Amino acid sequence: MARRGKLEILRDILKIIQDNGNSIKSTPLLRKSNLSSKRFKEYYNELMEKDLIKNIENKNGDKFIFLTEKGLRFLEKYRAIISFIDEFEL
Amino acid sequence: MEPMTGRAIFEGFRGAGFRNILGLGFGAEIIYSFVIIVCSLMIYFGTKELYELSSYKGIKYFRQAFLFFAVAYFFRSFIKFILGYFNIKEIFEFSPGVFGGFTLFLFMYFSSIAVFYLLYSIMWKKWNGDSNKIYLFHGLALIIALISAVSRNPLAYFGINVLLLAFVALVVYAAYKHPKNKIKSHNLYIIYLLLFIFWIFNIIDILVPDFLQTFKLFMYLTSSGIFMIILYKVLKNTGK
Repeated sequence: MARRGKLEILRDILKIIQDNGNSIKSTPLLRKSNLSSKRFKEYYNELMEKDLIKNIENKNGDKFIFLTEKGLRFLEKYRAIISFIDEFEL
Repeated sequence: MEPMTGRAIFEGFRGAGFRNILGLGFGAEIIYSFVIIVCSLMIYFGTKELYELSSYKGIKYFRQAFLFFAVAYFFRSFIKFILGYFNIKEIFEFSPGVFGGFTLFLFMYFSSIAVFYLLYSIMWKKWNGDSNKIYLFHGLALIIALISAVSRNPLAYFGINVLLLAFVALVVYAAYKHPKNKIKSHNLYIIYLLLFIFWIFNIIDILVPDFLQTFKLFMYLTSSGIFMIILYKVLKNTGK
């Protein structure tokens, strides 16, 4: 169940970025994700490691978080992933 | 020495070895192995994207189990080919013996590890994601393969397989005690139990070839059917 929760949280973070026009700063993302800053950092690092999000800095030095192609694909396939895990009790 | 004419070479190809293969219904063997290998590889590659996106351990062990099934079935057909072509009853009769023993060792290793990985895919969360168990399973598979390759006693094969089945049944029963969805889980565990039972028949068919002579066709059809049901479930859920 813990891991299933983790996948849900990853999906929720990606969904927030997508709903925000695929560009959001880390502070509003942390606020909207309803996670403690420690847990948010863990998930944020995991999303970066898995290449689901990327971080781009603009001319003013502000950092924005974007979904990668893989991140978009994750959102598209999320239902299939969960349905597969449930079907085979994985 | 007379030069070989084209006809003689052709006759040579239609010689004892090939007659043995055809006589033993090798066509059925090839189709059976082909169906299982294709099903297993389709399951493995069909779930590739889901795993790459999610990095979910359960999906990883599930797909690796089917990759091992495909490899094990490849060695199974290879052993059957040797038995048929050289018209021998047991792989140990094949000369040089070490080659036959080594093929049997690989077949037993991959078949055991496939069963263990499939079990682990449903149990890893209940075992708190302890990945050390994977090394334990590799060790067990190695021991099973060694005993099968070194010992030539059919009783030893039966003993190992009965123990393996008892272990699988116990683990599946433990998993079934707390299902998420009773009906869905019931169907899944019946499919898995049948898969393990028929997998053991497959092993016995290799180790003691005469034992299952009468219902070989039934075993082939049922085993293929089980793999096709699993493939259908995979394709249905991956949306392919």
